[in-house]
Amino acid sequence: MKRLLCCLLVLNVTALFAQKPDEPAPGTTIIQTPRKAPNTEPSVPLGEEVPVYDPGSEIVSWGGKHWNISNQRIFQARFEKYLNAPEQTDADNAEYQKIIHDILELLSPQNATNTKLYQAYVLLFRAAVHDADGGVCNAVANAVATAWQAQMNQNQLVFTVEELKKAMRTELSKAIMFAGAQEQASSSSSSSGKKGSAKPPPVVGPLEMRQGIYLKEAAAFEAQIAVLTGKREVSALQARVQFQALMLQLFLQRRFQHVVISCHMYRQLFNEGDSSIKVEGQTKEFFTKDLGMPPTVSTLLSLATEAMRDIREGVQAYLFLSERNEMDSATKRLSESFLIGEYMPEIRALSREKKRLALTYSQKANRLVSALSVKDYGQAEQLLKDMEIMAKDFDATKPRTAVETAKTVSAMHLAKARNAAIAGNSQTVEDALKQAAAVWPRNPALLEMSVAIFGQSDLQQKAIADFDQLLSQGNLRQIFNDKLRFIAAMATIPERQDKLKKVLEDMQTIEAATARAQEFARRGDLAGAWEAVERAAQQFPDDVKLNQLRGSYSSEAAGFVESLRTAQRLETQGQTGSGLAWYLKAQRHYPLSDYAKEGIDRLAKKILPSS
Amino acid sequence: MPRRASSKLHPAWFVAVPLLVAAAIATCYYFGSKISDPYRTINTLDVLTYLENANSLRGNTYRVSGSVWNSLGWSPTAGRLFAVEVGAGKPGDLLPLLVPAALNHVNLQKGQRFVFEVEVVEGGILRVKSLRKE
Repeated sequence: MKRLLCCLLVLNVTALFAQKPDEPAPGTTIIQTPRKAPNTEPSVPLGEEVPVYDPGSEIVSWGGKHWNISNQRIFQARFEKYLNAPEQTDADNAEYQKIIHDILELLSPQNATNTKLYQAYVLLFRAAVHDADGGVCNAVANAVATAWQAQMNQNQLVFTVEELKKAMRTELSKAIMFAGAQEQASSSSSSSGKKGSAKPPPVVGPLEMRQGIYLKEAAAFEAQIAVLTGKREVSALQARVQFQALMLQLFLQRRFQHVVISCHMYRQLFNEGDSSIKVEGQTKEFFTKDLGMPPTVSTLLSLATEAMRDIREGVQAYLFLSERNEMDSATKRLSESFLIGEYMPEIRALSREKKRLALTYSQKANRLVSALSVKDYGQAEQLLKDMEIMAKDFDATKPRTAVETAKTVSAMHLAKARNAAIAGNSQTVEDALKQAAAVWPRNPALLEMSVAIFGQSDLQQKAIADFDQLLSQGNLRQIFNDKLRFIAAMATIPERQDKLKKVLEDMQTIEAATARAQEFARRGDLAGAWEAVERAAQQFPDDVKLNQLRGSYSSEAAGFVESLRTAQRLETQGQTGSGLAWYLKAQRHYPLSDYAKEGIDRLAKKILPSS
Repeated sequence: MPRRASSKLHPAWFVAVPLLVAAAIATCYYFGSKISDPYRTINTLDVLTYLENANSLRGNTYRVSGSVWNSLGWSPTAGRLFAVEVGAGKPGDLLPLLVPAALNHVNLQKGQRFVFEVEVVEGGILRVKSLRKE
């Protein structure tokens, strides 16, 4: 199972690499690695085609580049594109699938004949016409044609080698014949020589020369045979490798139906010798280490068949789970099936209505991931609720824990900020708010508290300015009317607190005098009412209410007020006698008058200094 | 025969004579009192003028008639200060009169009517020079 999972992961990544890997999507992490030195080892036909996935670092390496698999934006984009696409169940697709099915029937091992191979070969061109095929069948057909051509060339080479061998044997026979004649001539000459005493000098005779010529020609033929034999072997290997490369490419492109077709065709085309795939390096390791199987055509066929079965089961599982409102598992199964078998008919034929369920859930899941990544825990919490309703198998434990933890920590920082604000510690307030914002930037409570604190600061500054202005104008009553605002604003400013306290005390005096005057007036003692406000008005001449009451009572107790005013004026002018007379007159108007009594006492003392 | 003259008094005499006698008595009393008033030659204080501007009257001596309204103070050296109600109106004006210590022997009580000879001194103060009970 682990092997299959690894295979699936690799295949998932392959979905990306079916595109152009040099231009990754924005946000995809690409780690450039230093270019390797040229490999001095003998080059192999295949070796670096399979991407390698490192589960520890979640890094996929392929073609000298590294991708972080955890960044799934491009996967999400492809998957959502598929979920929004209409189902491919039209007549054209049905006909295409029928042709593919017929090809597979013709190539089944129990029906393996050259005639059926040729019929399947012809059907490949018919399948390639359809859009769903994307011209892949054409590539397979071309590979088959190339293999046939290579086989014909090999047959021609075999015939040529045989002809060369015949010629070589002829030349060798001639050389042997002249060698025999030479030997016979040598023996006859030696017998005649015994008769004479002189030995003739060694010379190359015509027979020996003819023998050498034939030997050279035989050697030339042999060399040509060796060259042609080598060429035939290379040609055979080249055709096989090309076909294997095509099969591997189709496998990596997740064209599993075409992989099955090409595997069956390969077996019929190259039925002699082994069926191992000539790969080295990482690709070989992928087969031997990751899958635990040798890189053979059978392995490839087995993997493709297994993938097709897995895709069918994945789609069935999706339909089953979605009917039971278990959209989390259902979406995962469909996602896995799509990434493996994007071009499989089971995936393509799935109706759009059924896919919409997965789309909605997938979008919410993606939004949840985004919300958590940007610490928008309010949005994340809402999405969690929606997803729990939508998918009863959704495990919200981890995201909910993250949300709750962030909320708690943010609330703690806000509480700290609130306490610091009450204590007037602005630096701590700022730090605590920063920490709260770092934990949960879009916390509504953070915004409210910021507005409250900084708004309070603005209000405090405005209250201080208003207080100073009103105080400079002597408008104590306005300060008194807004005393709650000023008390709150001056709570942290001791020097202004004293001023405010003095103002409030003065206003208490004014209010007491006002209340007393109104009580006098209520009893009909207008002179007493006037006198009550007059004394306060002299102390606080700018108070509007006092002045209004004083004016009102002055007119209502005109005789008393006039007497008192005249007395005060004359006293000021030094006319003690007449001033005292007016005070007496005022006292007669209002016997309880403090002003009159004080004036009388004052002037009497002036007249009688020693009394 | 000659008629005898009548000796009877006319009855009007019985009315006229008492009236005349009463008038004579009243005249005598009036003139007698005038003649006996020692301040009859002193001008009466113009209270309104005094109240308006006492300094304008400074140095003058006036006659003030009124009743003691209240005592305002006492000094063994300076004397006593009284508020005296003057004028015919009810209530009359109250004037402060300084009765110097030299007149301490005169007993002044609230409600008693007196005729005062006053002098307007510095500060418009009415200082009593002499007084007589009415």
